Parts: sequence; structure tokens; C-alpha cells
Amino acid sequence: MLITLWSVFTISFFLMRVVPGGPFDRERALPEDIQRNIDARFNLDLPLHRQYGAQLWNTICLDFGPSFKLSDYTVNEVIAEGFPISASLGIIALSFAIILGVTAGVVSAIRPHSLSDVLLMSLATLGIAVPNFVLASLAIVVFVFVLPWFPAAGWGSLSNIFLPAICLGAPFAGYIARLTRTEMLEVLGHDYVRTAYAKGLKQRHVIVRHVLRGAMLPVVSYLGPAVAGIMTGSLVLERIFAIPGMGSHFIDAAIQRDYTLAMGMVMVYTVMLYTMNTMVDIAYALIDPRVTIE
Amino acid sequence: MMQTLRKIFPYSVFFGSLLALAWAISFGNLPPADFTFVNGTEIQSVDPARVTGAPEGRIIRAIFEGLYRSLPRKGQPNELEPQPAVAESCTISDDLKTYTFQIRPTARWSDGTALTAHDFVWSWRRFLHPETASEYSFQLHYVVNAAKYTAAAVEPGDRVEIELTDRKKPYQTFPRGTILAGKLVKVQKPPQPEATPAGNRKEKQTLLADWRQRWIYTVEVKPMLDGEVDWKSSGNVRDFCKISDPHLTPMTEQCLHVLPHFESQVGIRAIDDHTLVVHLKNPTPYFLDLVAFYPLYPVNRKCVETHGTPAWTKPHNIVSNGPFVIKFRRIRDRIRLQRNSEYWNAASVQIQVIDALAVNSDTTQLNLYENDQVDWITSVPNSIIPELEDRNDLLKSPMLTTYFYRVNVSRPPFDDVRVRQALNATINKREIVDSVTRAGQIPARSFVPPGLPGYEPGLSGAFNVKAARQLLADAGYPEARGFPKIQILYNTSEGHRDIAEVVQRQWKNHLGIEVELKNLEWGVYLDAVRTGQYDIARAGWIGDYPDPNTFLDMFVTDRPTNQTGWSDSKYDELIASAAAESDPTARFDILRQAEQILMDQQPIMPIYFYVSLNMVRPYVKNFYANIQDVHPLLILQVNPDHMHNNLSRRGLQ
Repeated sequence: MLITLWSVFTISFFLMRVVPGGPFDRERALPEDIQRNIDARFNLDLPLHRQYGAQLWNTICLDFGPSFKLSDYTVNEVIAEGFPISASLGIIALSFAIILGVTAGVVSAIRPHSLSDVLLMSLATLGIAVPNFVLASLAIVVFVFVLPWFPAAGWGSLSNIFLPAICLGAPFAGYIARLTRTEMLEVLGHDYVRTAYAKGLKQRHVIVRHVLRGAMLPVVSYLGPAVAGIMTGSLVLERIFAIPGMGSHFIDAAIQRDYTLAMGMVMVYTVMLYTMNTMVDIAYALIDPRVTIE
Repeated sequence: MMQTLRKIFPYSVFFGSLLALAWAISFGNLPPADFTFVNGTEIQSVDPARVTGAPEGRIIRAIFEGLYRSLPRKGQPNELEPQPAVAESCTISDDLKTYTFQIRPTARWSDGTALTAHDFVWSWRRFLHPETASEYSFQLHYVVNAAKYTAAAVEPGDRVEIELTDRKKPYQTFPRGTILAGKLVKVQKPPQPEATPAGNRKEKQTLLADWRQRWIYTVEVKPMLDGEVDWKSSGNVRDFCKISDPHLTPMTEQCLHVLPHFESQVGIRAIDDHTLVVHLKNPTPYFLDLVAFYPLYPVNRKCVETHGTPAWTKPHNIVSNGPFVIKFRRIRDRIRLQRNSEYWNAASVQIQVIDALAVNSDTTQLNLYENDQVDWITSVPNSIIPELEDRNDLLKSPMLTTYFYRVNVSRPPFDDVRVRQALNATINKREIVDSVTRAGQIPARSFVPPGLPGYEPGLSGAFNVKAARQLLADAGYPEARGFPKIQILYNTSEGHRDIAEVVQRQWKNHLGIEVELKNLEWGVYLDAVRTGQYDIARAGWIGDYPDPNTFLDMFVTDRPTNQTGWSDSKYDELIASAAAESDPTARFDILRQAEQILMDQQPIMPIYFYVSLNMVRPYVKNFYANIQDVHPLLILQVNPDHMHNNLSRRGLQ
């Protein structure tokens, strides 16, 4: 993990410096001496390798330094405010995706090729195919203006969270639904399921205790990429719904050449993706009875 | 053991997820504001000395206040005029160069302490200090020796102040280290380095800045007497240098700055707690407008020196003096303002709580407005303007802002004025505003926008294809034969591209020249324009104060804002003599002559004048469109019935 973080740090550091234009470019050029004072305050006057060393050391100490552009804040403060917002958006989107996806998948698999199956699976395909920002625009038209149920944008109360969370979770709900259905149908054909029925167990019991458990494995392993997708997907949605989360900070930091803030964001995203994938691996081992734990 | 773990696992995951979900949907209760507006991008800072943008201006005007404040003129509310604020009056001397401000005895900071003339002296000194690096510092350079203070320009014989290297925190400019005062005896300069001929401008500047760091200042340091510098007695002669390496004499001491002595040299004095005297270099008819402009608003010395920058700007630390105070800030979400009960005119401020939302996207802004979540939005998406045209809550006003193309006159064929004139005469500006920008923008023939009372702008050539072809032929390119392919550079944005495409087509059709479009991302674009890596580049300029000078001063030879390589000695002379002219009519006449030169020489091609677009609810009173697009929050009034409605509607929010 440390090696991953270090290489991500190094690549981002040099990529940021290679892109032309600096954080303090403006239409009015400043006199050289004044520009120097600013550069000195942010260590930009040092040779590149020393900037690299200084920033690497600060990053190791978990101090990302002052934000170049939000000059009243340090990067740590920005992360401390932005992270919980993105986290709660992500958690709700993911919960929505899992609950809806698994339910739809199970319902479809129990009666394959029925009307409900065809309907649900078409919806799922649509959900996967439509990009989340298109979905967001549609959702705003329908649920804000035609049916005045939700606020158009903003953050601060529960009603703000529904539209963005649903738009964010929809493609994953669709994918999970299709995955669950396929796996369910496969497991339903297994001998042990027939045995279970033969024992006289009720259908509900068989589905929940035996079939679903087997069918869940691919879904769990899909959660890794799903978390990554939700984290990156929220970049766009936070913009549309004016949500002050990590995504908004990340985009603005990149556009404004806010070196320190962008670096902080990249590091947090890396740690998050890494942790999530590791957790999924552990969960996988714990769920699958065929994996022996040592 | 592992088996139990396996058994427990599904349950722990289940409860863990439930907990996470419960946490995710738990929100604090946020009481709605009385008035909510969209402020655009997240502000960079609330420090008046360090920002330049319009969103920052709206917040700083709300939480701070200067000697004067721009407010709608009585009887003509669509014009702003500087009105007494912290100062209750101002007397101007007969030569128009000395301004004496009387500070209101009731003026107070939000912590209850009195606001005095000394606060302004300190704040303006901080504003001018080289280390503050204020981009707007030139707004005070009309004051005697203020520009020298910012540039640290000192000469032998001058009274100087020296800051030693004993600051508590090296990166905090204030509180400063020990300050010595004295008379500069001489400056020893090592030989000036020669820039390599191939070296670009940037490298040359770096070399020179390095060189200046090595200067050794010999100063006769004067003793202090009763807290004042005793200029009469003789003092010790000491050597100072900004870098620690004493390369000439072993006795050289290190210092941080050698600046003109502020108290005695710079024309800003506090006579007593309530009298501030400002001496200007030249009569500056718009000086009160500058004083009313937010960079010159005062900051609280104790607050800045106790907490340091940027910690003093935190809502729980900041001490301000405006009609509102910051209650809290959420990054890229909102700034909540609350009425300041210590404000000298608090009784006239009607709105108690204001939310300023940070929303980037124009479309999202409009959604919020149309969904009744906000009362005022500060921009409107271009594409939808025709549909909003008939609504009475869309306020449109010409602005003190010009959209123009810079021409790089150091590159052939643009070094020929006839080529520049031909190009300008074949841009159909009417077509651009009617078919591209479509928000009622005004086609521009001058650089200074209309609407400045008493000023008649100098005009460039009108749209004339025939004359343009002739000009091009005279320049040696009949029917554009031999004319090189040229490039229009713009920063990445759909709007700029659409305009450039129209110009490209017009030049192709009318003159037969080949034009290539090139877009660069903002930072890269600025870099390219600054270093002269362009043929023709898109630009925009927002007037800083309501006077033609804010536009015309840009193109004086070697101004950092010039960036075209253009230079005209007559023009420079006119701008300089306008600055010295005390009769306003004569001054405008000189400026008009200067603008005529600019328009004839055409190092720039004006395209159109911007309009400001605001949408504001009809029940908001005292909101007036004006050319500076400044809308003071303190005079706004919201009908209480509507405030009540807002509360119920915002139940959603």
C-alpha cells in the first residue's frame, strides 16, 4: 500500500508540475519581487526536487499544507469538511444500489421470462446505459419542476440527498440486478438447491438461505469496482447538484492548479480505493464457504 | 474461532451498514436564512487585501466597510456614487490633492472596540506592504510615495525603515520584526548581471531579482525619542543586506525589508483618532470611488496580529466592521451572514440573516432560482436568455467591461497598422452580439464602455469591407496574396470559441485570409499571452473604478496589462498629463484623445461590451442594475410576508 501511495504521489506531483500554467497566473502580471514573496510562502521558489522532498515529507506527516486557492483554509480542513459529505452521499447511493439491485435480481430470477422479469431487466439495462449526468438532468426536470418533490440542488438537509444519491446509484443498481439474476438462475440449477426443495423446505427459505448466499459472491466481488465507480461518478454529480463534497473540491483544485489541494484529494482517493478493495477481498473470504481461512 | 467469525460476519456487516446509513442521513438542523443568493465560485478569501474577484467583493462589502461606500444615487438609483460610510465627511483641498476624512465617532469593530484613523493607516500599510502582494495595491498608488513603498524603491538620502529578521513566525508579515528607522546613506550594488541574449523575459527578471537581493544598504540608524524617530540627532551607520551571505563586509547585518519610512514618507497620516489625511500625487477625481472600493476597507490590527494569516479569517476569530458578520462558512457550500449589531448604522439594515451559496454551474443556479430556493442569482446561462427576455425579474444592464482581441504588434504582418485596421473593419460585431452572445450585449467601437457620465469615447473604424480590402492591399497584400495564416487564441470556453468562429468566417469571406483557432486552458492561455506567444488573443477587462483611466492606463508602454508589444509615446504622454489635470472636462478631453490614438492604432480590437444579468425576486426592494454590477446587501429589503413564505417554501431545503 505504501508503495502504491508513493507512486501515485510521485506521478501526480510531476504531472501537475508538467502541465503549463501555475496556481498564481492571472491576467495582471505581478512584479517579480512580489511574485517571489508569494512563491516563497508556498515553497514554489525551491528547485523541483526540493519541492518534491518537502511535499513528500509533509504528506507523510499527513499535513498537506495550505490550499493555494482557498487561502483561508488548509487542505486538511477542506478534506475534513468535504469527506463526510461525499461519504454520506456514497453510502446512501451504494445502499440504494444494493437494496434495489438485489431485490430486482431476485424477483426476476424467481420467475424468469415473466413480464416483471422483462420489465425489471429492461430498466436495469437502461440504468447501466444512461450516464449519470443525463439521468440527473432528467431527474431534475421530473422531480423538481414537474413534480415539486425535491430541491434542485444544495446541501444541508435530508431532502437534498435523494436525487443525487439515486442518480449516482442507478447504474450500479442496474448492474447488480443483472448480476444477481444471472447468478441466481445458475445456482437454482444446482443439485443442492434441488435437494433443499426435496427436503420440503419452503421456497422462501431455499431462496434466502441457500440460493442467495451462493449468488451473492459475484455481487460482493463487484462491490469493489462499484465503490470506485461511485467515488468517481460523484465528481460529476456533485457539480450538477452543487454538493460541497470531495468531487467539487477535486475538480476545482485541478482546474485552478491548486497543487496542494489536488494532491490531498488524490491521496485520499487512493487510500479510499485501496481500503475498499481490501475490505471486499476480506468479505469475500468470509462469505464463501469454499475459501478456507488460515 | 474462524467459524464464529464467519457466523458473526453477516450480522456485523448488516448492523455496520445500518449504522453507516443512519450516520449518512443524519443532518443538523439549519434554520433558513431571510435572504439567499448565489454568489458564484467559492471565494478565495475574506481578506480585503488579497482578493480580486466579484464573489469575494460581495462578501467583503457585506462584512467590512471603508471610509466611503458605493451606494445608489438618490433620484438616479441606477448610478452608484461613493457615499460617506466610516468617514462622516471629507474635505478636499483647493489643489485637489489633499483629502481629510473625519471618522465617525460611532464607528466600531464587531468586537465593540472603536474604529479610528489609525486602523486605516495600519490597514493601508499592510495593503501596500510588498509581502502582502496585493494585486490591487495600485489602487492606492495615487498616494504620495505609496508605489515606492510597495516596490521597496529607496534612494540614498531617503528616510527608510528596516525590518530585522526577528519575527515570531517568519511567514507572518504582521506582527513585524523589529523596525529600525534611519537615513539611507548609500546602496552598494554588485555588478548588474547580463542577461543572455537568448534568455526570455522571465529569466531576465529572475536574474535581476536575484541581483537586487544582493544589494547592501548603508543606513544611518536614528535613535528613538518618546516613541518617535529622532531625525535630528545623528545615529549609528550600519550595513544591511537581504541575504545572509555577507559578500562584501563582515559587518553586514541581515534584514527582511528596506522600505521608504512609512510614517514620514507615505502620504497617509492619522492626525488624531478621528482625522485621516491623505496626500495624493495628482488630483485624482475618482479617488473617493477608490476609497469606496473593497480592497481599501480596513482590517482589525489586533485580530490579524493575534491569530496571523489566514487564521484571523476564521468565522470564530474574525473582527470586522461592516453591516454583517460571518456566522459560519462551509467550503463550497455557503457563507452565512448575520446582521452586525455593532454596525454604526445597524438600525437601517433590515435583513437579519443572509446565505451566500457557492454554486459554480449557471444551470444549477437557474434551477435553484426557478425552484424558489434562492432570491437572487448573479449569472444566467446564455442559451436560455432569449426565453427569459420578457420576464420582469431579469435585470439587464450594460457593464464596465469590454470583450476585445489583443493583436501582437511585434509579429508581422500585425506590425503594420493598416493590417490591424483592415482586420477590425471586417469584424461584424453586430452579428456577434445578435447571433452568438444574444444577451443584449452592445457592439463595441471604442475600448471604454459607454455610460460614464461626461465621457465621449474615441471610436475605431466602422464595419467597412471595401475600405478594409483597400487597406490590406496598401499594406502589400492585395486580395490577401502572400498573407500568412493567422491564429486566434482563446481560453477554453464554448462562448469564446463561437465568437472566434464567427470572426474566422468573416475574415475569410471579406478578406480571404486563412484563420486558425487555438484554445488553451486558462493558466496556459495567460502564460501564452503574457509571453507574446500569439497572433490575436481574446481578452476581457472589467473596469476597477468608474473612470476611463481604468481602461486606457492598461496600454501605456510596458504596463504588465499591455501584453501587445504596442508602444506610442504620444499616448503615454496623454495618459500622464491626464493624471496631472485638475479640470475634469479637460481631463476627459485628454483621455478621449488618448483613446482615439488607441483606436486608430488598433493594438486591440474591441468586440462588445458586456451586460450584467441578475435575476432577482420582485419582492426584493432596493435592488438596482448598474454598470459596476455592485448590489449592496445592506440596503436590500424583503417584504416580511414574503420572508414568511420563504420559510415555508424552504421547508424543503
